[in-house]
Amino acid sequence: MRDHHITFLTTAALAVSVLITTPIIPTQAGELRVGYTEDALTLDPANHRKRTTQTIIRNMYDGLVTRDPNMNVVPQAAESWKAINATTYEVILQKGITFHDGSPMTSEDVKYTFDRLTKDGAVGGQTSPRKSLVGPLKEVQIVDDRTVRFILSDPWPQFMAFMTLHEVVSKKFAEKVGADGMSKSVMGSGPYKLVKWNKGDSVIMERFDGYYGGSQDLKPVGKACSETVIFKTIPENASRVAALLSGDVHIINDLPPQSVKQVEDNANTRVMTVNGTRSTFMALNTQKKPFNDVRVRRAVAHSINRQLIVDKILGGKATLINGILGPDAFGKNKNLPAYEFDIAKSKALLAEAGYPNGLDVTLDVTGKDKDAGEAIASLLTKAGIRTKVVVGESSTLTSRFRTKGKPIDGEMYLTSWGNGSLDPVGIFVPTHRTNDRGNSSGYSNPAVDKLLDAANTETDRAKRADLYSQAEAIVNKDLPKVYLWVAQDLYGVSNRLSGWQPSSDGRINLHDACVK
Amino acid sequence: MNFGKFIERLAQLIPVLLGVLVIVFSMMALTPGDPVDIMIGDQPISAEQEANLRHDMGLDLPPVERFVKFLGNAITGDFGLSFFHRRPVLDVIAERLPATIELSLFSLILALLTSIPLGVLAALKKNTIFDRVSTVVSLFGVSLPGFWFGILLLMLFAVHLQILPVSGRIDYAYEVDAVTHLLLIDSLIAGRLDTFANVLSHLFLPALTLGLPMAAILMRVTRTSMLEVMSQDYIVFAEAKGISRTSILIRHALKNALIPTVTVAALETGSLLGGNMIVESVFGWPGLGRLVVESIFVRNYPLVQAAVLFYAVTYVFLNFFADILYTVLNPRVKL
Repeated sequence: MRDHHITFLTTAALAVSVLITTPIIPTQAGELRVGYTEDALTLDPANHRKRTTQTIIRNMYDGLVTRDPNMNVVPQAAESWKAINATTYEVILQKGITFHDGSPMTSEDVKYTFDRLTKDGAVGGQTSPRKSLVGPLKEVQIVDDRTVRFILSDPWPQFMAFMTLHEVVSKKFAEKVGADGMSKSVMGSGPYKLVKWNKGDSVIMERFDGYYGGSQDLKPVGKACSETVIFKTIPENASRVAALLSGDVHIINDLPPQSVKQVEDNANTRVMTVNGTRSTFMALNTQKKPFNDVRVRRAVAHSINRQLIVDKILGGKATLINGILGPDAFGKNKNLPAYEFDIAKSKALLAEAGYPNGLDVTLDVTGKDKDAGEAIASLLTKAGIRTKVVVGESSTLTSRFRTKGKPIDGEMYLTSWGNGSLDPVGIFVPTHRTNDRGNSSGYSNPAVDKLLDAANTETDRAKRADLYSQAEAIVNKDLPKVYLWVAQDLYGVSNRLSGWQPSSDGRINLHDACVK
Repeated sequence: MNFGKFIERLAQLIPVLLGVLVIVFSMMALTPGDPVDIMIGDQPISAEQEANLRHDMGLDLPPVERFVKFLGNAITGDFGLSFFHRRPVLDVIAERLPATIELSLFSLILALLTSIPLGVLAALKKNTIFDRVSTVVSLFGVSLPGFWFGILLLMLFAVHLQILPVSGRIDYAYEVDAVTHLLLIDSLIAGRLDTFANVLSHLFLPALTLGLPMAAILMRVTRTSMLEVMSQDYIVFAEAKGISRTSILIRHALKNALIPTVTVAALETGSLLGGNMIVESVFGWPGLGRLVVESIFVRNYPLVQAAVLFYAVTYVFLNFFADILYTVLNPRVKL
């Protein structure tokens, strides 16, 4: 009996150890895996407001226009577009585009797509949360099978830039499956078809052999390179890095700066970077003492050695900014003076403002920015601005600082604002216009408001750029925020990967990506 | 067991659950942060469109009105739409729940299978080197934070040795028909041993991370309680009667010694659900814990409310279940 027990236990132990150490199936050739921070919230292009969801969806759905590596707007499913006047845009579709079921894409599908985005209750009784991303779009008119006209109620020069954020759906399919079906199945015209969505875990796609080739402006034009693409959800930074190092995935997004060396030192992996679009700054509460005095705000700017922080904490992978706009943004004023690191100047400014013995302030940061916040605080403290760092949660800090006109509860807030459209309207207006939703300094300057409003409807590109440039020169002087840097987006990739470039808009387009 | 008492105990759960609903709702309502703001993020929106979105989410109503509406709907099993998934929260939760149940059950089994024999052994070999080593090991087990230990296991088994996968529940090359949605069981039902092995390889590290603290605690509890029981008169009497040691251990000592273990195991199973939140994030496990954490950060009120209610119900029922188990293990205890 005893022997039987032992035999059974031994066999069981052996079985378990054999089972759990069964080698992992190696990645198949032509199978490309992406370790991604988040899963898609839905597969319906009209029913989310999340850039990460769009990144996944965009590999299965094409839009009318997209962006090239330099972030210029280029046609995708469109063959061409033109502005007929300030409120009318005409778009002509490429010939021979089909959805994954082989049915042709026509003007009807385009009109249906945008009606779904703009009409109340059009997404199964819900209104698309993306409605505000088409601006003042009033209606879509069908001219012929391949030509549509977009009619706006007011001029909106950034219309085509925002059109990069939308994907064309199949009218026939959407009507057949309804909103519920659209949320979990895909009938796009993109380079990949949906195979399966394991919610919370992965989205599996396979190459669409009937693909029309994609944007004529982005070479190579043709079918996708990889046979299978898998977006694997790995939210934890260290685990995502581990997945890359073990060869389980070929691309990871959001590589933490502290893991750059680890990925670079590994023989099979490398780091890829691209200019980001997120401006990091320290908002100063201009509504009350001490930061209602511009001299104190300038003293803060002179106390921070930004390059040192970028080198030590961001691994050197960031570009310094002297205004709110990042280096690639439209209308960027390239001649803004920098507030050089100069403690003597800072102390003099403080004394002039009535703080010869320095002052005590609090800097609010989120957990993500804690390291940079502590570095800034120690530099400020050295310059006599004795700073206490308080780490808070992003949503809480947002409600304390982005108050849309109500009193701000706090003094300094290290935060950032993304600008995926690369148009100042997406970042300059919300963060600097009086009482706007991202104005975390309580800043109000009628001259800036006037310039921003004028730029919003100016259709002449050069004039528009100039208006933003003027506004940026003013805020650089007023300094409601200490403008810090635009960090590069960091990706870890396998050396087996080729043909892929990271993109400033944060998308991971896998059309040209191959795995050896 | 008396059926009337059973019903009475069940009825006692109602005020508890009601209390949970009130607390969860108020906590979410009082926490600063606006779901609409979070959803829009850095993108532009007009005031009118923002108001429409707020209306869609039902956030334009005052909190008291929202609570009454929420309670009314909750009683009929309608917890509303997830703000961000834009689908009924119960559907979203149901998709994620099997992964969490499978991980928790497997961790529980792993913990019980290791802790009880080791606890008994430590008691029997009291003050020997085995006992001391097991004390130290269990101290480590309780002290190691899950996120750290999990990553350590990942680096060892997935990156260096490359014998276990980094994340997920199953490899994409494997398919299994969903019957119970617990992949281990489904693969057995389908008679697919290769799939079973693949699922097990994915499950092993998260379950080990999650189960280790529980195993450590259960082992200590079993050891202490076993020592106590072994010094009782009836054990001495049984030994004097010449009953075999195995029989004394299993039939007389262990049965009584397990009562505290059962209590702690039931409570700890509840905390497994909490521990899941960290372990699921580390191992990219597509479960409920991770979903809840993500939902708390983005103030997805309907989902958090429904999920916390689910946790509360589970916790309360586990305690209830433990009470019933007492009566089985020790007939002198009545409900």
